[in-house]
Amino acid sequence: MAVSDERISARRRRRAGGQRGGLPAGTSRTAGYFFVAIYVVLLLALGVAPAVYAIALALSTSGGVGVSHFVDTFNFFEFLPAFEHIAEFEGIWLASQTVFVVLLALMVHTLKRRVSTAFRLIFYLPGAMAGSASAIIWLFMFTPSGSPFAFILHGLHYQVLSNTVQPSNLPIVFAIMAFFTGAGGWIVIMYGALNNIPDELIEAAEIDGSSALQTAVRIKIPLIRKWIVYMLVLSFAAGSQLFVEPQILGVATNGQVPAQWSPNQLAYYLAFQQDSFNNAAAVSVDLLVIGLLVAVLLVWRGRLFEVE
Amino acid sequence: MLARRYIYRVIGLLVLLLFVAFFGVPLLWLLLAPTKTDYQLAHQAPLAFGSLGTFIHTFNRVINYQGGLMLTWLKNSAIYSGGGTALALLAAIPAGYGLALTQFIGRRTLLAVTLVVMIMPATALVMPLFLEASAVNLVGTAWAVILPFAFFPFGVYLAYIYFSSTIPKDLLAAARIDGAGEWGVFLHVALPLARPIVALVAFFAFVGDWTNYYLPFVMTYTNSEYPVTVGLQILIGSAPIFSPTASGYAGSEIYRPDLAMATLIGALPILIIFLFAQRTLVKGMLAGATKG
Amino acid sequence: MATVTFKGASRIYPRAKNPAVNELNLEIRDGEFIVLVGPSGCGKTTSLRMLAGLEPVDAGDIFIDERSVVRLPPRERDIAMVFQNYALYPHMDVAGNLGFALKIAKVKKSEIKTRVAEAAKILDLEDYLDRKPGQLSGGQRQRVAMGRAIVRQPRVFLMDEPLSNLDAKLRVATRSEIAALQRRLGVTTVYVTHDQVEAMTMGDRVAVMKDGVLQQVDVPSVLYDSPVNAFVAGFIGSPAMNLVEGTVGSEGVAIGSTVVAVPRALKDTAGTGKVTVGLRPESLELAGEGAGIPAVVNLVEELGAEAYIYARLAHHVDQATFAATPDFIVRVNPKSAPKSGSAVELHVKPDSMLLFDADSGARITAA
Ligand SMILES: Nc1ncnc2c1ncn2[C@@H]1O[C@H](COP(=O)(O)OP(=O)(O)OP(=O)(O)O)[C@@H](O)[C@H]1O
Ligand SMILES: [Mg+2]
Repeated sequence: MAVSDERISARRRRRAGGQRGGLPAGTSRTAGYFFVAIYVVLLLALGVAPAVYAIALALSTSGGVGVSHFVDTFNFFEFLPAFEHIAEFEGIWLASQTVFVVLLALMVHTLKRRVSTAFRLIFYLPGAMAGSASAIIWLFMFTPSGSPFAFILHGLHYQVLSNTVQPSNLPIVFAIMAFFTGAGGWIVIMYGALNNIPDELIEAAEIDGSSALQTAVRIKIPLIRKWIVYMLVLSFAAGSQLFVEPQILGVATNGQVPAQWSPNQLAYYLAFQQDSFNNAAAVSVDLLVIGLLVAVLLVWRGRLFEVE
Repeated sequence: MLARRYIYRVIGLLVLLLFVAFFGVPLLWLLLAPTKTDYQLAHQAPLAFGSLGTFIHTFNRVINYQGGLMLTWLKNSAIYSGGGTALALLAAIPAGYGLALTQFIGRRTLLAVTLVVMIMPATALVMPLFLEASAVNLVGTAWAVILPFAFFPFGVYLAYIYFSSTIPKDLLAAARIDGAGEWGVFLHVALPLARPIVALVAFFAFVGDWTNYYLPFVMTYTNSEYPVTVGLQILIGSAPIFSPTASGYAGSEIYRPDLAMATLIGALPILIIFLFAQRTLVKGMLAGATKG
Repeated sequence: MATVTFKGASRIYPRAKNPAVNELNLEIRDGEFIVLVGPSGCGKTTSLRMLAGLEPVDAGDIFIDERSVVRLPPRERDIAMVFQNYALYPHMDVAGNLGFALKIAKVKKSEIKTRVAEAAKILDLEDYLDRKPGQLSGGQRQRVAMGRAIVRQPRVFLMDEPLSNLDAKLRVATRSEIAALQRRLGVTTVYVTHDQVEAMTMGDRVAVMKDGVLQQVDVPSVLYDSPVNAFVAGFIGSPAMNLVEGTVGSEGVAIGSTVVAVPRALKDTAGTGKVTVGLRPESLELAGEGAGIPAVVNLVEELGAEAYIYARLAHHVDQATFAATPDFIVRVNPKSAPKSGSAVELHVKPDSMLLFDADSGARITAA
């Protein structure tokens, strides 16, 4: 409540300032360029240029400009599976992460502060294991002999690592790895967001007759909705780039996990094993476009980033 | 009524403990694995403690692996992440300030582009970046990794949110009236107030850089250039348990406790940062709550 | 509609030395508008929250009608509360805010709609039903908070300083609106404020608290005319009552070197010795030379229809306690107000003086 009021009035103030003719006393119009200069150079050289370069590469064919690289790559037998893999992985991961992060944050938030601090720390520390570390740890966790979770794996009749990481399990396997490192940070942030809800508001709901569960669903979750969307956007972008986990599983299982499991791996394979940079660029552009479309959709539907 | 509430509490606690096990057990295992020999690891209870002596022995094995390769990798990680983070801060903090608190033509466009680039799958650009780097002969140098790390639009966005939501324009106007120039206003007024956001951007940049795998994997060629993340994969490749074909020189095989130890060492800097950064993380992220 | 009874209700916060509310006994009649008033930190909010169920009752009991409610969670007490910062749900529009409690209670949609419309009409909110709280002015938000309470048709309204976020003018206007509304709906209301003017103008009865202890509860005129102790006397009334040290002698009460006559019966109970003398600004008037307590005018406050002078008693001027002794406030005719800096003499109108025990502050009354 207080937050949103401030926000509104701040926005109003800013708008009013803008109407009055904009610049505060003594502001020069060129100073801004100076502050953003380094960033703009980096943006052009390392953000815009490679994107343009990728598109140019993907579109340049022996006969000039065309979409043949897109058509060719689409017809590779690894192409569709790679995108299906990533879609399945993202679906499982984002759904479970959203549900569990919100649930755990709400639950931890009902605990006494000291107790909740301990819980949050345990959830959050695995974040330090992002990337190859997490992949290696879970390599061990998924190996039925010697894993602390062996009883579960044996319950599923898995005897060796290759049973656990059989192709149909891979999206779940990678979702578990990503959840392990990614969820804690978000739980901590959601917890902070829940703490920002004024006590009065929760009390008002209580007096209005709302049970703890109803308050969570009707008051708390809507008030942290923005953060949930934010989490979805950033997680989606990260997830679409899946590379290191399948790569390491591939090494550890002697190729049982194919080196073209994810689109990113496919692009790498095309570029550096097949020496076909144009085809690799086409896959990268596919990934870029899909990633942007989904992200923009989420941002727009979630009314995130209201840029003034 | 009371009984039902009690049951809910118990169920809630059980769920929490379940997740504590999920997040905590792998970490615990990672700490315990190097205390055991490879044989013990396979035959003892997964969470049993071996001995401190074995832990130290494993540590030495990993550190001395192929003449201290692990240290080289750590050093590379430090150079790449440290350099990348420093440059990222140098670019992002003034840029966030400029976007939030100054006026110039193209400001909104730049903001929009930043948002788009921020949520763009960055690894899709690694391949063209590689071509770009090789065109200017940077591949094989540290710059090929550091420069892409320096480009950190998420940091710009965080700084923008921070500056626009926590620093009143009037404060800057007051400094200008007191005679400070644009640079002086930034340096003496905005920057001292920006410590939390500098810490936050540094945190995200450093952690992201240290754990990044794909970019250095593409940009570096040799053992002496790899950062820890890529190095770990080399280790798996030389672990007979996972790669029966691993062409180990005599005595250079990697066993499971070694692998766990290497993982632990590689993640230790981040683990330490994490232990200290939790508060900064929440505060910094939520500073944007009044806006973004 | 209901009665509310506090029976020795206490609340001691963890790790606090003294109770925030100490053995509160208070009987509130059906349909009554009662105001809890007192200085900051005296336990008003805590009392209200105990009744709401937001704060546990450590000792004693609280009843709504004949039923003890201390074991019931807030939602089973059938009360509605208006919070100081309104506590409107920022993600719901005004209609959603007004109807939330009914929705939770699974009231039929059509009925929610009628009742929300009704409340919106009473409070002049019809044009804002689809706005979010963030898009409303302070006064409109305040009305939404009121509306949220009245759609419930609860047994008791609780209000915690609902006007403190409004500007002075709006506060005065809303004050009478709330009082009128309450009288129309006839719902028992407990209203908390630290502003004694608000308390006196709104309440059927006013309960004055200090340091967690209820001092006096009565209708406004009795509080004004017969405060039970020096605290209530000084707290109620604006400008405040003048409290000054005096000595009871055979002639009357000596203030400085001036002796003021006291009715015989009162003097008898007062005995002899030091007392605290209470004089309302309107109990004093300017007198001719030699006829009153000498004083020097510090400041004249002209309010149009009336004027107040802030004067320092002559015998206070040279005292070490100079800074600590407040000015004497006297109501005068604006036409004949003295200039600041001039010397005046103050005459006490007959029978208008209150006496309090110098140590306990308790009122000394005629036997
Ligand atoms: N949650 C709490 N924990 C500990 N002490 C508290 C708590 N809330 C209030 N107190 C203490 O209890 C006493 C009464 O507080 P309360 O909020 O009831 O005062 P109040 O009369 O409403 O004051 P105000 O006019 O400033 O709102 C105060 O001394 C306060 O410091
Ligand atoms: Mg209060």
